[in-house]
Amino acid sequence: MKKGWRILFVMMALLVLFVGCQGEEAAEEQPEEQAEPFLASMATDVGGLGDKSFNDGAYQGLQKAEQELDNVEIKVIESKQQTDYIPNLTGLAEDGSDIVFAVGFLMESAVKEAATNMPDTYFAGIDIGAGEDDPDNFQGILYKEEQAGYLAGIVAGMMTKEHADKTDKLNDANVVGVVLGMLIPPVEKYEVGFIQGVHSVNPDCKVLSVTSGSFTDQAKGKEAALAMIEQDADIIFHAAGLTGLGAIQAAKEEGVLAIGVDVDQNNVAPETVLTSAEKKIPQSVFLSIKSAYEGNFQTGTKVYGLAQDAVGISDFHSFDDMVPQEVKDAVEQAKKDILAGDVTIETSREAIGR
Amino acid sequence: MEAFFTIANTDLLVAMVRLSTPITLAAIGAVICERSGIVNIAMEGIMIVGAFFAAVGALYTGNPWIGLLMGIVAGGIFSLIHAVATVSFHLNHVVSGAVLNILAMGVTRYFMVLFFGHPGTTDPIPNNLGQLRWAIPGLSKIPVIGRMFFDQTPIVYFSFILVIFFAWFMKKTKVGLHIRAAGEHPLALETIGVSVKKMRYLGVFISGLTSGMGGAYLAIENSASFTEGMTNGRGFIALAANISGGWNPIGAFIASLFFGFADALQVRFQVGKVFDIPEEIFIIFPYVATIIAVAGLVRRSRPPKEVGVDFMIEQEGD
Repeated sequence: MKKGWRILFVMMALLVLFVGCQGEEAAEEQPEEQAEPFLASMATDVGGLGDKSFNDGAYQGLQKAEQELDNVEIKVIESKQQTDYIPNLTGLAEDGSDIVFAVGFLMESAVKEAATNMPDTYFAGIDIGAGEDDPDNFQGILYKEEQAGYLAGIVAGMMTKEHADKTDKLNDANVVGVVLGMLIPPVEKYEVGFIQGVHSVNPDCKVLSVTSGSFTDQAKGKEAALAMIEQDADIIFHAAGLTGLGAIQAAKEEGVLAIGVDVDQNNVAPETVLTSAEKKIPQSVFLSIKSAYEGNFQTGTKVYGLAQDAVGISDFHSFDDMVPQEVKDAVEQAKKDILAGDVTIETSREAIGR
Repeated sequence: MEAFFTIANTDLLVAMVRLSTPITLAAIGAVICERSGIVNIAMEGIMIVGAFFAAVGALYTGNPWIGLLMGIVAGGIFSLIHAVATVSFHLNHVVSGAVLNILAMGVTRYFMVLFFGHPGTTDPIPNNLGQLRWAIPGLSKIPVIGRMFFDQTPIVYFSFILVIFFAWFMKKTKVGLHIRAAGEHPLALETIGVSVKKMRYLGVFISGLTSGMGGAYLAIENSASFTEGMTNGRGFIALAANISGGWNPIGAFIASLFFGFADALQVRFQVGKVFDIPEEIFIIFPYVATIIAVAGLVRRSRPPKEVGVDFMIEQEGD
């Protein structure tokens, strides 16, 4: 009897190992017959693939490179915790990667350390800026989130006041809300851009905001949104990753509108998500791979914005008929003004006095 | 100060109940488990497993009740690993619990890939328990209390029922007495012919069931999809609630409400901009409050005497 238990226990231990090994590599590697393929790889942050946000976006960029460039292979490693970042990034370089992507601001110090340790491999970091002291094989990729936030803010600012009669999901209180994940630069830029966008068309509008402190805690995101809806907020914008799914859920249950982030989140709740402030990561990742592939990798920071069509807001989907032409025109006009340099958008809370 | 009064309303108290429910459920489990003599720090892991299987059940069958059942059962089964390790193999309780928490993360990610093709988060669950709001006729009309306790979603009611049930069960039933004896004086229990092993298995299993239910609450009632890491430390807070609640279901319930209140309050402080201090201070507020509560109350509450102590007895012919 006792022996049987022991065997079971050993088998369970083996199962644990098996599970651990399986989880590591989510992407398929395709062996090719040609000589020495170009290997582009990425390590996700703790959000992992399937976050319907920047990890998935970066992966799509890799897939695009695999399809469109000759003899390119791709590889993905997912990080389960923050201590995995350096081993994963260094490991990918040791496995023969030509370029390694680190995804997310929270990987900043890890990717820079890995780049210093592995000088023969190119590294690129999404949402990570490159400083002067950083190694020559590192490229930072940043986005002008404030521009996407600004455009979303224009939509929210106009809808919540002038066009509140267009749907029963809006009220006359002239209040909108923002749910944030952790207060890191990309999140702050979204928020600050959004506030400026709202106030550019609706100076009296009250913009509430709550920082949840997590990117994975849906219950916290929901509570934050509910607390703002109690104060009559009728449009909830979130820049909170998976936490934001809870905010969208709250908006859905309470019958108000939500604005998604990073990718078009309309499919999360089609009758609730008005639009999304997008950051088109696949395109920028693809361009970065292409430059390394063609041998003209640029060091330093690359900033993608409206000019590269890398930020913007997504379609209104089922709300397309409800959103007046006036609002759409205002968004287009703002795009032109930003590109022409007629509008400057601040990027920090300090600059707008919050 | 004016802003302060705008947030001190019934909504705040409703939010308190809503936020404390998953913690209450896990904390009841912690009470039963520790009373039986087993330290269970694996509730965080059990909750995430419960949350995942509840979401799977609700997504695949389209019926949230089957999801709830799957979440509870999965939590129970997962907790049995802890029981086998600690009761049958005499493994250190903390070590086993820590391992299970890590295992839970791996298992849910593995099954995410297996069932959904990607880790991270599942698709939205179209039929979830959050859509069912049961207002109890009459009682829900009572001011304040009515909205807090009698106009809620299903699992919130279940948590109230379980608190009362287990308070009665531990105090008044024979099995409850035996579970308590297993944690206080296992040798005496064994002497009167009751298996300490069985009682401890039962204690751990109950904690698995209730924690699984707490996880299910997060995935299919409060939210409408499963996200890796969505429990975010609630299993550990439940452990603290158990301690500051004095290893007693009703005490643990009150302690959970306290945490829920602190959390609901900090969110509303942020919305109302009541104090002009950095967000981080608000975010840690509920956790700091918990530490203070545990540190302040722990001296007055007494743990079961033999909790965490291995029980081994020489048996003939084994």
